[in-house]
Amino acid sequence: MLKKMSYSSFPEDVLEHVFSFVQSDKDRNAISLVCKFWFQVERRCRKRIFVGNCYAVSPRMVTRRFPDVRSVELKGKPHFADFNLVPEGWGGYVYPWIAEMASGYPLLEEIRLKRMVVSDESLELIAKSFKNFKVLVLSSCEGFSTQGLAAIAANCRNLRELDLRESEVEDRSGNWLSLFPETYTSLVSLNIACLGSEVSISALERLLGRCPNLRTLLLNHAVPLDKLANLLRQAPQLVELGTGAYSADMRTDIFSNLAGAFSGCMELKSLSGFWDVVPAYLPAFYSICTGLTSLNLSYATIQCPHIIELLSFCPNLQRLWVLDYIEDGGLEALATSCKDLRELRVFPSEPYGAEPNVSLTEQGLVSVSEGCPKLESVLYFCRRMSNDALVTIARNRPNMTRFRLCIIEPRTPDYLTEQPLDVGFGAIVEHCKDLRRLSLSGLLTDRVFEYIGTYAKKLEMLSVAFAGESDLGLHHVLSGCDSLRKLEIRDCPFGDKALLANAAKLETMRSLWMSSCLVSFEACKLLGQKMPRLNVEVIVDERQPPDLRPENFPVEKLYIYRTVAGPRLDMPGFVWNMDEDSALRLSRKGFRTI
Amino acid sequence: MSEVNMAVIKPEMMKSYIWLQTTDGSIQQVEQEVAMFCPMICHEVIQKGMGSSKSYAISLPQRVNPATLSLIFDYCRFHQVPGRSNKECKTFDEKFIRMDTKRLCELTSAADSLQLKPLVDLTSRALARIIEGRSPEEIREIFHLPDDLTEEEKLEPLKNTTDDPRIRLLNRLYAKKRKELKERDKLKIVDVGEDRVDDRSVDDLLSFINGGGDSKGIRTSKNKKKHQRKKDQQKSASADVTIKTHSQDSNGLNTLCHCAEVGNELRPDQGETSNTQDVEDDIFARKSEFDDGYVDDEIDPALKEKIDREVEDFARRLNSDWPERMQEMLSLGPEIRPLHYSANGNGRKYAKNQMRSRNDISPDWPHGWNNFDQMLMQMV
Repeated sequence: MLKKMSYSSFPEDVLEHVFSFVQSDKDRNAISLVCKFWFQVERRCRKRIFVGNCYAVSPRMVTRRFPDVRSVELKGKPHFADFNLVPEGWGGYVYPWIAEMASGYPLLEEIRLKRMVVSDESLELIAKSFKNFKVLVLSSCEGFSTQGLAAIAANCRNLRELDLRESEVEDRSGNWLSLFPETYTSLVSLNIACLGSEVSISALERLLGRCPNLRTLLLNHAVPLDKLANLLRQAPQLVELGTGAYSADMRTDIFSNLAGAFSGCMELKSLSGFWDVVPAYLPAFYSICTGLTSLNLSYATIQCPHIIELLSFCPNLQRLWVLDYIEDGGLEALATSCKDLRELRVFPSEPYGAEPNVSLTEQGLVSVSEGCPKLESVLYFCRRMSNDALVTIARNRPNMTRFRLCIIEPRTPDYLTEQPLDVGFGAIVEHCKDLRRLSLSGLLTDRVFEYIGTYAKKLEMLSVAFAGESDLGLHHVLSGCDSLRKLEIRDCPFGDKALLANAAKLETMRSLWMSSCLVSFEACKLLGQKMPRLNVEVIVDERQPPDLRPENFPVEKLYIYRTVAGPRLDMPGFVWNMDEDSALRLSRKGFRTI
Repeated sequence: MSEVNMAVIKPEMMKSYIWLQTTDGSIQQVEQEVAMFCPMICHEVIQKGMGSSKSYAISLPQRVNPATLSLIFDYCRFHQVPGRSNKECKTFDEKFIRMDTKRLCELTSAADSLQLKPLVDLTSRALARIIEGRSPEEIREIFHLPDDLTEEEKLEPLKNTTDDPRIRLLNRLYAKKRKELKERDKLKIVDVGEDRVDDRSVDDLLSFINGGGDSKGIRTSKNKKKHQRKKDQQKSASADVTIKTHSQDSNGLNTLCHCAEVGNELRPDQGETSNTQDVEDDIFARKSEFDDGYVDDEIDPALKEKIDREVEDFARRLNSDWPERMQEMLSLGPEIRPLHYSANGNGRKYAKNQMRSRNDISPDWPHGWNNFDQMLMQMV
């Protein structure tokens, strides 16, 4: 008989020490599933928690299970909220979490939130509850004002990071930045790029002057170019810089001042900002371009020749975000000058125009896929595509991990053959075996989903719009994509059958979003009733006249996510949870007036 | 100064040994400088004056067996020599920890009891690397750990392969439907777009295509300011875009044929025998491990009956020819259309004893906890 190793003699603190070298969430989760003993040890020493859907679990459950957490990351609204598909007031409130953590985690150091509603009260509670608070990242959040920021600045003595990326901040008082005490010196990262209001430049200069560890500074549009030089001189150790507005009258003194300041920043690796660019000022930072690994020009309305010149100075570029002014010619130049490129995002300058305003086609992307062997992440807006181009890209770059193609006009076919782009995307999933994220566009039949279900075994997130022909499409994806975690669909003819047949699959995913599809009310009710570990939430279309019975119409918006916390308690009137209670309520009272 | 202490402080010319006894009773001696590298032994020698002779051998903690002790001393023998370069140490360490997991665990445990921190760190890291990237089952096997979390406590990953009989059946159903529809002359697929003029705003319509989460200036209400700063072109031309949908009439049959082929190809080779189970039976038959913990004694029997009836009703309707149903659902109009009942709907049976229960937050975790684990997967 094989003698079992007596792990009771393996002391808990030693095991904990071993676990301290295992940090990834996936591995920690695996550890907690091994056996009772490991479960207990692991939960007591877990320091970092990531909750991908704040409604999947309740705050109390988290604090009860993991008593010693120092860092929390939460996500709220579904991704399609970025495209205004989630109505105002849907949810994603962080306050209950802050309240629970205020008592459960007094030693909490880091809070990272994405797409959540953060009130000033929440920020004030953070400011007074966590003595050792260090990191606050609010990504695409909303609901707070400069008043909340003032509370953070005034009270968080140990703050290292304040990052407001892409959030919506209401402007109440302008002087929150001045509330950092004179004794406060620990700032490492400050991102205020999204702020609409002005900040006091002098307060900023003083702040920079006394924070020697500052590495990241992303300014907002309101910071004028002629002030930038002084700010840079206060913080020559910067690694990441976001300029403010990059325009000024052409004056040699401003230029030389700026160029001098830039040349002193030998550590700069990342540049962004560049609103309202005056091209003549671009050469001011050429001196540091060899060190650049990341360049975000997505606000810079500069034309192709300037972009090409700039890129020629950046041989070590790994990430480029740029507007489609770069055109095919610029992308070809990119493919030649930047051999280390890993990530490319090309945004449309005029997405609503009927005709293309620039000469950017599929060819640009093909050139980059040929010239940049490390390219693995792509977000590309264009107006035409061909299966041939996609096949070429797939063959060139089997190392692709994220591929998001956005052909601007829905249902655009292959421009050469007028065929659907099924084969092209099929090649992508077939050749790129490590593909984790994919967004589809163009004319697509159920066939593309068959390819995806067959080949995309590592795919974790899929975004689909205006594609497919029948339930078979959805069925292929749900039954074939083993690693699928997030699926978001809009305007596709997918209905009940695929959803119900693959109901069990939904519990293995984080969430499913379907809007403007063909899912019926009854199917949602069925799912809600029979799957207690799913929240099946229907977002009712408020524009529909109230006397119509909703049961006869396809559901306008459907959001399904797995949860151990049961139906959420903060649903607004237009969100219905399809469990038995509300279903009963529905059938008794008829259409609910909102 | 005691005799013992004098013995320890002897000059290098005479080699000194420390006597150690492991819990199995065996006694051995080790060079002084090697043994003293271990804080615990060092403490015993200096504070308590032990280890100078066989009769005063230091009793080592229970977790240190002779084989492990020998390994530890190999480590100490190397590292106690002054002036070793980082590279030398690294090379030695990498070779040193190459051993089977059982030994590595014993070594970690022993090193900890001897308070030999550098070795504890080295072995712990090695163990961490073994754990990383593995599934719970693999970890259990490697470390010979008991599988003592109950079924209730674990969440078995749900199967969703094409081996699943309901999926096979569904594939067959689809293939059959395709064929039927193809043969019908009066088939008319509703042109999805024509009845519906899409009067949503431009932003709504085109909002998806405008890319990923970090899209610049594309989001509307969120980034109105950004929009205004861009050139003021958009809204004029595109105020009332009607989405031109892909007309299906001409291509309809083609795509259907196309799908028919796809449907046929899809029929998996395994499971040639037709599974007589009804599709819906399987959909809603919960796996037994889910139900163990989910007893709902709150459900009112009348209510339960009503739900079961609704479910049966719906399942019957679901089996009706779905293009017609789609047509019904899509045609707008204020009057309520009676839902179409198919003549060939079989009676659907539901397992009557499927109790659905609210997943109450039970105080005695880890019931249902590991659902939680699977939600804690880091997003890329």
